[in-house]
Amino acid sequence: MPQITDTAILAALGRQLNTAVAKQTVAASNLANLDTPGYRTRDVSFDAALDSQLGAMRRTSDRHLGGPPPHEAATEETDGLASRRDGNNVQLDRELLAMTKAQGDFSRAQTALAAKFRLVRYAINEGR
Amino acid sequence: MPLGNAIAASASALDAQRARIEVAVSNIANAESTRGPDGLPYRRRDVVLQSAPIEPFDGALDRAEAIGVRVNDIVADQAEFRRRYEPSHPDADAEGFVAMPNVDVPEEMVDMLGATRAYQANLTAINLIRDTIQRALELGR
Repeated sequence: MPQITDTAILAALGRQLNTAVAKQTVAASNLANLDTPGYRTRDVSFDAALDSQLGAMRRTSDRHLGGPPPHEAATEETDGLASRRDGNNVQLDRELLAMTKAQGDFSRAQTALAAKFRLVRYAINEGR
Repeated sequence: MPLGNAIAASASALDAQRARIEVAVSNIANAESTRGPDGLPYRRRDVVLQSAPIEPFDGALDRAEAIGVRVNDIVADQAEFRRRYEPSHPDADAEGFVAMPNVDVPEEMVDMLGATRAYQANLTAINLIRDTIQRALELGR
């Protein structure tokens, strides 16, 4: 029987929140450096995003060492954007769109999480 | 808190863009000032922006790093002064030419417009981040 506190779902939603926050932070940094000569647009790297979506490597035995901490969200330079003459390649609309998208992702995960918590509270209060 | 760092990055950009607007405004204001503190005509000034990590350890820890911006320096433009023929001017040289500041007003206007746009964009970013924080707080309701 599925448990009401389904930790896998909670963890997945939590990871989605973290990824959205990381994306928003990186987009905010890009926007802040809209006019900094030589600044290159950065993005949350795909590998890190995938890692955080799938969950990090698990320890299958207590005798295994912990290993490196999971990549939360490393960043990397974005290719394929046109640079201006000062070497800066930040595009205003692209970053604002990324921020809005991340905001939507965050809202969605938050709504699902809140519903999950409501269910738990409902059970705690014996259906009242 | 990562979102706090993101707001700090956007706020640093507001600061930097405001500095740019201030410098552009003083350049326009002094477009005709033939006497500066050093006795020479006013020299056009330019803001040098530099990116600066908000929390330097985040990058080392492989976290999404918030990178802000700061005004590194305000430099004087060393371009030649404009010369205008105006023999009646007290600062005119023997040939009747007055050295005028090397300010190009349209250029300053364009710079100011760019700074204003960037300011607005960063303000929008702060609002979006604030919405996200608001949503996060609603989890506790």
